[in-house]
Amino acid sequence: MKSKWYSLLSVILLFSLLAACSGGGSGETGEAPGGGGTEAPSGDKGKTTVQFWHSLGGKNGEYMDALIQRFNASHEDIEVVGTFQGSYDETVTKLQQAIASGTGPDVSMLERAYVQMFADSEVLEDLTPYLEGSGISVDDFTPGLMGHSTFNDQLVSLPLNRSTPILHVNKTLLDELGLQIPTTWEEMKEVANALVVKEGSEYKRYGVTMPYDTWYPIAMISQAGGTFFNDDHSSIGFGDNGAGTKMFAYLKDLQSTGALYYPPAQDSGNIVNSMFVEGKVGMMYQSTGSIGGLSSTVDFDYVTAFLPKDEVYANPTGGANVTMLSSSKNKEAAWEFIRWMEMEEEGGLEFILQSGYLPFTKKMVESEKMQALWAKEPNRKVAYDQLEFAVDTNKDVAWPEIMHEFFSAIEAIMYDSKDIPATLDTFKKETERILAQ
Amino acid sequence: MDKKRIWEGLRPYVLIAPAMAGIMLFVMYPVGYLIYLSLFKYNLMNKDKSKFVGWDNFTQILGRGDFYRALWNTTIYTAGVVVLTMLLSLLIAVWLNKKSRFNSVVQAGIFTPHVVSIVSISLVWLWLMEPNQGLLNYVFKLVGLPSSAWLQSSKTALISIIIVSVWQAIGYYTLIIVAALQSISPSIYEAAALDNASKFKVFYKITLPMISPQLFFILIIMTIGSFKVFDTVQVMTGGGPNNATTTLVYYIYGFRTTNIGYSAATGVVLMAIIGLLTFIYFRLLSKKVHYQ
Repeated sequence: MKSKWYSLLSVILLFSLLAACSGGGSGETGEAPGGGGTEAPSGDKGKTTVQFWHSLGGKNGEYMDALIQRFNASHEDIEVVGTFQGSYDETVTKLQQAIASGTGPDVSMLERAYVQMFADSEVLEDLTPYLEGSGISVDDFTPGLMGHSTFNDQLVSLPLNRSTPILHVNKTLLDELGLQIPTTWEEMKEVANALVVKEGSEYKRYGVTMPYDTWYPIAMISQAGGTFFNDDHSSIGFGDNGAGTKMFAYLKDLQSTGALYYPPAQDSGNIVNSMFVEGKVGMMYQSTGSIGGLSSTVDFDYVTAFLPKDEVYANPTGGANVTMLSSSKNKEAAWEFIRWMEMEEEGGLEFILQSGYLPFTKKMVESEKMQALWAKEPNRKVAYDQLEFAVDTNKDVAWPEIMHEFFSAIEAIMYDSKDIPATLDTFKKETERILAQ
Repeated sequence: MDKKRIWEGLRPYVLIAPAMAGIMLFVMYPVGYLIYLSLFKYNLMNKDKSKFVGWDNFTQILGRGDFYRALWNTTIYTAGVVVLTMLLSLLIAVWLNKKSRFNSVVQAGIFTPHVVSIVSISLVWLWLMEPNQGLLNYVFKLVGLPSSAWLQSSKTALISIIIVSVWQAIGYYTLIIVAALQSISPSIYEAAALDNASKFKVFYKITLPMISPQLFFILIIMTIGSFKVFDTVQVMTGGGPNNATTTLVYYIYGFRTTNIGYSAATGVVLMAIIGLLTFIYFRLLSKKVHYQ
């Protein structure tokens, strides 16, 4: 008799284990928990819950939370639940896993360079019919920011928190030395070198700096007349025309005299920001996203300017777009949230005014509030004006993978002073291999 | 009666079934799935877009310079950490072997790093090793030594990470060795003393063989652990500069968003390498280990 009990027990244990393991597989995005009213079985009274993932922490996260609250307050039948998912890259990783297991959100923020990769996997909803249904035209948006929005004639994302690299200048320092804000690479070289202060073998002050990122080299490639990918996306567009070699040779030349400080990779953004604030460097290539933070902390005359040109003025764009996932079960409600956030004054405009990201619709740009802010803070207007020269040439499904290789090339050249043409040649071969897949 | 005999035969299997089910689900199945993934150019978000590529991922791994770089870094790291930690913990353990109050305080002090999270430790060392404002270079300058770029130069980054890992690991392994030393029967030492054996000979002929099972255990555990190093690299260098500290696991992590199939294939290779190492250890070294 006793043995029977054992077997029964084992079987129960076994099944409970199996059940516990298979339970997590099927999560329904539609019936998200919480939201108070959902417990009522009657379908007409319940609120529709829209899950929204974003990558904004700190101050910007608070502004985003405030936006979501404003939306919920003005919509009785929809409840948006915003979740901060970490950095852009972390959000991407989590989205991939969530989509694979069928537990993705309805709406998500997506760093613009990843949009193509997600669109290629057919997990993003085409927004064209929704736009038409709401009487919105693609032309209502700021053209420079729509570069990553379309994929194979589908409109898969809309701009949200967008930024662009810009030149941040310590005007006080430049004035002391009687220097003008540089507008070309040549002038940049002179000004940056004039700013250098060297004591013994140690640099007390550098000319210019930039965070460790692909953004700034890409900006400079376009300025030198190259493109990141060639026209038919089979290789790079800055190898044979010399733009890549020219750009890196220029940076290395600046670096060798202390005119350029190239920071270590880890935490580079904070390092260069604090160096700029402390006056250890006179100029900085950095995102427009830091204008707000910098102007409240610096104790000198702080201005922004266009990135210096070589052949032409050019700058890539950055930041994130908003997307709707095809797996969403509440597309109407999700669209209402996106529409409200993009078009309504108390939605996106308020958020843009607070955070300092770029205004993404023409209506926003023309709004009184925006114009008033620009009159008060011309630094922010420079960033918008520079969008005239915005060009994104690194748009490809395989970009995230190629970015990895480009970082390796940047590190080899900037940290280990490896031979520039040889490094770029290796990079070119890797890129061609990845693009051919 | 027959029924009972069948049950007698079945019973052990039924009894281990729950545990086996767990192992199947959480060990065997993931390993199998890893191998399955490694044969694809896998699209995580849309399975229909995945492409079966057979051994392509593996041929690609074996043909890529950065994989060998990662493998080389991992080997150097493992060798450095294992050798340094073993030597230092052995030295400290022999020193701490006498039971005194002072020794137990020192032992507690050495053990403390093991209690602290490796992420916090990495962050603290990141500040200590900062070339311009860090404490280490400041002290170096005071003493008149040349300062080092530590994590920011590809020449010194890997050794810097080894230092941090060794510093963190010593306490734990010292504790194990001290415990081993104290379990050696004093009568053996007394016998050696009667024979007038030199201190070195006592250590070499008695102490080492007597604690060899523990040393062997440490060697295997540490080799496997070091081969899988990730946290320190992620926090302190992000694999840089110029891949100087990219270890195998960090290399796998690098492809997580873009090429999960390639990541999986590298994972399979890592598994094979660790399996092989453990096998070699058991074949070669287990004969030299003295079990009582």
